[in-house]
Amino acid sequence: MLPPSSPVHRPENIHPSLWLASQLARGGGHGVSSGFEALDAELPGRGWPAGALIELLLPQDGIGELRLLRPLLARPPASAQRVARVTRAERIALLQAPHQVNAPGWVHLGVQAARLLHLQADNAVDACWAAEQVLRADSCHALLMWQPRLRTGEHDLLRRLHVAAQAGQTLFFMLRPWSCAREPSPAPLRLTLQAARDGLEIGFLKRRGPLREQSLFLPLTPSPNLQRHVPTVDRRTPATAAAGSIPSELAG
Amino acid sequence: MVFERERVTALSAPARALGVQEGMRRGGVQLLAPQALLQERDPLREQGLLEQTALALLQYTPQVTLAPDACVLLDVSASLRLFGGMRALCRKIGVTIARLGVSATLSSAVTATGAWMLARYGNVRTLRSRSLQRRLDRLPVVLLSAAQAHLEWLHGLGCRQLGQLRRLPRPGLQRRCGRALLDMLDRAYGDLPELHEWVVAPPVFKARVELPDRIEHTDILAAYAQGLLAQLAGWLAARQLSIKQLHLWLEHERGRQAVAPTALRIALSVPAWQEDHLHTLVKEKLARSSLPAPAIALGLAAEELETMQPASELLFPEPGGSPEDHQRLLELLVARLGADKVRQAAPRADHRPEIANRWCSFMQSATELPAPLSTDATRLPPRPLWLLEEPLPLRMQQHKPFYRTPLEFTSPPERIEAGWWEGRPLTRDYFTARDARHAYYWIFRQWRGGEASDEEPQWFLHGLFG
Repeated sequence: MLPPSSPVHRPENIHPSLWLASQLARGGGHGVSSGFEALDAELPGRGWPAGALIELLLPQDGIGELRLLRPLLARPPASAQRVARVTRAERIALLQAPHQVNAPGWVHLGVQAARLLHLQADNAVDACWAAEQVLRADSCHALLMWQPRLRTGEHDLLRRLHVAAQAGQTLFFMLRPWSCAREPSPAPLRLTLQAARDGLEIGFLKRRGPLREQSLFLPLTPSPNLQRHVPTVDRRTPATAAAGSIPSELAG
Repeated sequence: MVFERERVTALSAPARALGVQEGMRRGGVQLLAPQALLQERDPLREQGLLEQTALALLQYTPQVTLAPDACVLLDVSASLRLFGGMRALCRKIGVTIARLGVSATLSSAVTATGAWMLARYGNVRTLRSRSLQRRLDRLPVVLLSAAQAHLEWLHGLGCRQLGQLRRLPRPGLQRRCGRALLDMLDRAYGDLPELHEWVVAPPVFKARVELPDRIEHTDILAAYAQGLLAQLAGWLAARQLSIKQLHLWLEHERGRQAVAPTALRIALSVPAWQEDHLHTLVKEKLARSSLPAPAIALGLAAEELETMQPASELLFPEPGGSPEDHQRLLELLVARLGADKVRQAAPRADHRPEIANRWCSFMQSATELPAPLSTDATRLPPRPLWLLEEPLPLRMQQHKPFYRTPLEFTSPPERIEAGWWEGRPLTRDYFTARDARHAYYWIFRQWRGGEASDEEPQWFLHGLFG
């Protein structure tokens, strides 16, 4: 008769890298919190894993993928007295952005313009090379890379990028079209995003943990880059005009 | 195989396997190894190579001197701690020497003459005077250059090793062989002080290497450039300088089909002196440039120089490297992608979104940039994260703008009316709109003939909210 605490009864206690198929992985260390309780609970390590390739698959650009990353990217604005020097924890690299990056818009999101590094490469190989250099230098907080469908024979690039990411602590998000969902990928975390009313539907395509069939709804409103922020000091209360009391100079 | 006065003085291992030996005549060699490449010894080029090596080794110690028999002596007593001990230092020196394309035997001893003799004997490293003495005692007398003239007499005495030579009575030895032999022996054992003439780095750096063949592969050129960069690193370290601009030129065919040399200039945003960093930059630059013709020689010159300012190390270093590491990353990215592809935001205070959103190269220094947006920017109505290159005209469907699906307004209009002072007046009403699939867009309404005209306003899509 084995004692109830024997490793045979609880095999997941033998080593942190072991987990049951019904549990989330625990061995990868702590992730960086996504800022959403519901999402953290579904991610291994309770957050976005640093130093790993994370794939976000989108049906189209601009559905709210950056609002999803806002808690991760946003920082309170620096005070005027502070020296305007960007530290590693603030730097964000954007690689192969699909459209012009509108710096004032990012300020609304909570990302000061000086924190952005915008890279554009001519082809997929150069882009992957640039991503590898950024990951290897490990001097940015996050790297966001937009990667359209790869041609056959270029899938090795993803594996190389994942290996490069593991060397550092950079949060590495790769944003790819939905059609890539069928392609194999070395990324340990692959999420599909779909816009929903006032939020996002997140599908778990691949994660170190149990299969989750139904998608997770995350409310993204109110979001400071979308909702009109009216400064209270500037608002003038309109003079309430009582019915039938037209000022005499107008009435005359 | 190298000849000097019709005798073999140096030969490769395959030639040795065929039975060729030092001192053979040309005819005998041609009989034994007909395919061998025979070269005449060129003392001038040998001396040049030795000086280049000395220059490159200046990065390990400021005290470098040349010794007879193609030896370079380094006083590393002050460098051991900086480079992490004798083994680590020897490994680094070995790497530098290999980059120059030279092979060497490394020996160390507490006296320069002792190290010089050990190096000519083989790879021997001694750190203490007692072990040096033991080693020296067993060396052949031939290595003592002052004893060359008296070699036969000494061998006749049965004195073949230095240990035996030291046991001979000194007054007699001085009378027969002169003071020089004894002095050299004493210096090797550390009984007499040594004086050296240190190598001084030239005031201007310019190095050139002839390539063995016509080369058009940039990878091979980068490998040759590495030797030049090793010299540059030594020169910079000796003069305590850092470099802002490198000038690398490739010489092509001369004579009738002469092609003008290709010049490559590599500018650095922050002065650097690290050899590895310069090498990656040169490699990327070479890989991106196309050669008009095969190169026959490579040259390197330092153009803009500044005083070296090594970064002060922190007691608790920041994870992810120092700001200098980030600068090096940017330079590397610029070298491959191009300066206009690595950009930083330089927003302008303007209401027109296309003008407010400005990006410029990272190579521009921060002082040239306008002041960043004030915190008031967040008090403006929302701005999208992406702007389209050109506003996309939208068609109307049932009095609603249509982009893939009908769009629905989610915000009151924001009027932007500006640009009249530049003669390009612009009147637009911006709205945030949402489509049936819950994606948010930034659209605007523009009157072509002014607001008062009867024409229908035209709708445009200008941005996406990410």
